[in-house]
Amino acid sequence: MVRLQLDPFLNELTSMFEHTTEKGSVWVTLKHCKFVLCSFCFPDFEFVALATFVFQDIDCKFVNYSPASDKSKVQRNKMTTAGKELEYKCLVRATDGKKNISTLVGTKDHQRFQASYATILKARMTSLKKREKKDKRKAADADKKQVVSKKRSTTAKP
Amino acid sequence: MVYIVSWDDFVERSVQLFRSNPEKTRYVMKYRHSEGKLVLKVTDDKECLKFKTDQAQDAKKMEKLNNIFFTLMARGPEVDVTEVTGKEQTAQPAKRGRGRKQ
Repeated sequence: MVRLQLDPFLNELTSMFEHTTEKGSVWVTLKHCKFVLCSFCFPDFEFVALATFVFQDIDCKFVNYSPASDKSKVQRNKMTTAGKELEYKCLVRATDGKKNISTLVGTKDHQRFQASYATILKARMTSLKKREKKDKRKAADADKKQVVSKKRSTTAKP
Repeated sequence: MVYIVSWDDFVERSVQLFRSNPEKTRYVMKYRHSEGKLVLKVTDDKECLKFKTDQAQDAKKMEKLNNIFFTLMARGPEVDVTEVTGKEQTAQPAKRGRGRKQ
């Protein structure tokens, strides 16, 4: 399992969709992560991830909060008791059956990530059937028009 | 496992499942381009909810569910998602309307 930053992850995901157009599937899994202060691994209260559940690819050092940076100092001050919940993240994994990639989406960037993720899905999930209910009117008019409208809808999509 | 037919039912039950067991619940999307198939699964390894579709309109609905799950997972299971869904619902019909009229 390769952990990537958000944008490289999205790029990889796009190429997975491209590779599986003829055969194969893409799986995307979303999972909830809780980050707490792990006082056992880091008695000096460095911020680390202690998943209350065990992920195969999570170890205690993977969140690199440098103890020297201002950010971690602020967070350290906020956190006075060990074992208290620090923050939530969403673990996103993707696979095409051969390659596994994953990323962590935090509170700050979940909206941005969700927007780009939705754009990718829209652009790649093109083999799903279009709605037929609303085409009834057009079908009554003429069959030719239906073909034209279908073309239009596909060109208008991206 | 039996697939849930109603989308709304699926959304409601999967959010419920996540809230009752946030640490174990995962949300999986499987997309098979060659067959035009989309399967959504929400499970905590005890209960399993699945939804299958081949319709593009369901992919739009899925976007909303993705939104809900990203919000729940990245901000914590106690977050009120009605806000998230409400925004999406008001934004989407307007978009559709414009698209069809042209």
